[in-house]
Amino acid sequence: MKNGFAVFFAVLVTLGGSWLGFVVAPAIQLGTAKQAAILNSTDTWPLQRTGEATLGLQVYRANGCAACHTEQIRQDSVMAEVTLTSLGKSKPEDFKAFVQSLFVLPELAKVTNNLAATLKDWKGELPATILTTDDKAMADAMADRLKAAGVKSETGIVAIGADIPRWGVRRSVAADFLYDYPVQLGSLRVGPDLADVGARLPDANWQLLHLYAPQIAVTNSAMPSFKFLFEVRKLGAAPSRDALNVPKEFAPAAGYEVVPKPEAKELVAYLLSLRADAPLYEAPFSPVTTAKP
Amino acid sequence: MSEEVKSSSAESNAEPTATRSAAPMWIIVVTLTLLFLGFVFFDKHSGWFDAKIYAPYSSAEQLENWQPQSGPAAFLARGKKVYEQVCGICHGVDGLGKPGQAPPLAGSEWVLAKGVNRLAHIPLEGLTGTLTVEGKEWNLTMAAMGVQLSDADLAGVLTYMRSSWGNKAGEVTADDIKKIRDAIGGHPQPANGEQLKTMPE
Repeated sequence: MKNGFAVFFAVLVTLGGSWLGFVVAPAIQLGTAKQAAILNSTDTWPLQRTGEATLGLQVYRANGCAACHTEQIRQDSVMAEVTLTSLGKSKPEDFKAFVQSLFVLPELAKVTNNLAATLKDWKGELPATILTTDDKAMADAMADRLKAAGVKSETGIVAIGADIPRWGVRRSVAADFLYDYPVQLGSLRVGPDLADVGARLPDANWQLLHLYAPQIAVTNSAMPSFKFLFEVRKLGAAPSRDALNVPKEFAPAAGYEVVPKPEAKELVAYLLSLRADAPLYEAPFSPVTTAKP
Repeated sequence: MSEEVKSSSAESNAEPTATRSAAPMWIIVVTLTLLFLGFVFFDKHSGWFDAKIYAPYSSAEQLENWQPQSGPAAFLARGKKVYEQVCGICHGVDGLGKPGQAPPLAGSEWVLAKGVNRLAHIPLEGLTGTLTVEGKEWNLTMAAMGVQLSDADLAGVLTYMRSSWGNKAGEVTADDIKKIRDAIGGHPQPANGEQLKTMPE
């Protein structure tokens, strides 16, 4: 063969390049991943799953849930918010005049329009988010000025994106999948994202009913029923402890009850273990207090 | 063009062979330009493939800026930042001072004093005249650099000084600084070494 060495070399580079890119580089990036620290806390993230939830991952996999559900929340950017919590001794009008006096400061030049528009219709209700900016330093500077003026405020960090906050409060990070094998990322969103479903819908009974007949919970749901994960059996002397409280139009014939099989319980345990609600270094957030005092 | 085609068809029976010829210069230029633009894009958006960095960040510093600031670590980090901006220019980022310009802070008996009263007077009032530090006499003037710092920032700076470069002394709180600042009053006069010695520690 002519140019035998050149062909061998080209094959080596092609295969070696793919191996470096697809195997070695990810192993260097994430191969040593371990539990991460939760911000402003001594706890670590994520927790090891319970045995039932670990089995539930296999039920999730076996039923092809990942064909219609993803487990990855995406995020476009991150914003800093300054929220007033108390005006101290000053009145709303005084506070507005004070903020207007800050407009001459060069470091706030970028947000003066933003601030003026927010304060125009504000009549003193608290807590009030007066500033939203993509520059955390600016939000911190504003909070410092407010503190010096005797006004109490909090600086919050919020994630921004189409998935947030409807499916989670922050994006998914590698640490979230530390105990998943295989990782069920999914690629198609026929149904909602499930990365944070354990925090979003924490009611196990709701989850069981939803698996038995999704239309009980969501009228127009396109999700198929997973009735085969449940047993419809003859009512004994008394209903079993685990029997579902199924609404009339979905209930089996009189004298029968719906009891989840172990697979259904495992799947629900897995779903409830799916959470992405702890602030981490690479996905910080600190929502400001929204509750009224 | 048409002549070339004719001539090649005339020689179609001959075995075709590859010949070596130089690539045109414009291909090289375009390739290098695209490569350069690719690297510019890579530098701006890849975060250098750090596992912790994805959109919306492009560097570890950017991500660091977004960390919520609270607790003792943040207090010390803030102190370090202010120290490096305000104090470190003369006293050195390593706290060793500069000969003929600023005395050392690392190991200085003024920094390591039990109380913080004398130490806090220096940035709040300024200092002039002779002062003995670690057995060596210094005769310099320091402006009241701490007056424009907030109580929390100055407390952070002093805490950082007292706990870095081998120094091991107690923490300073914003309340301590506030008390000392209030005691000094509105128009401070630069202190000198003798006055400092008469103050309580």
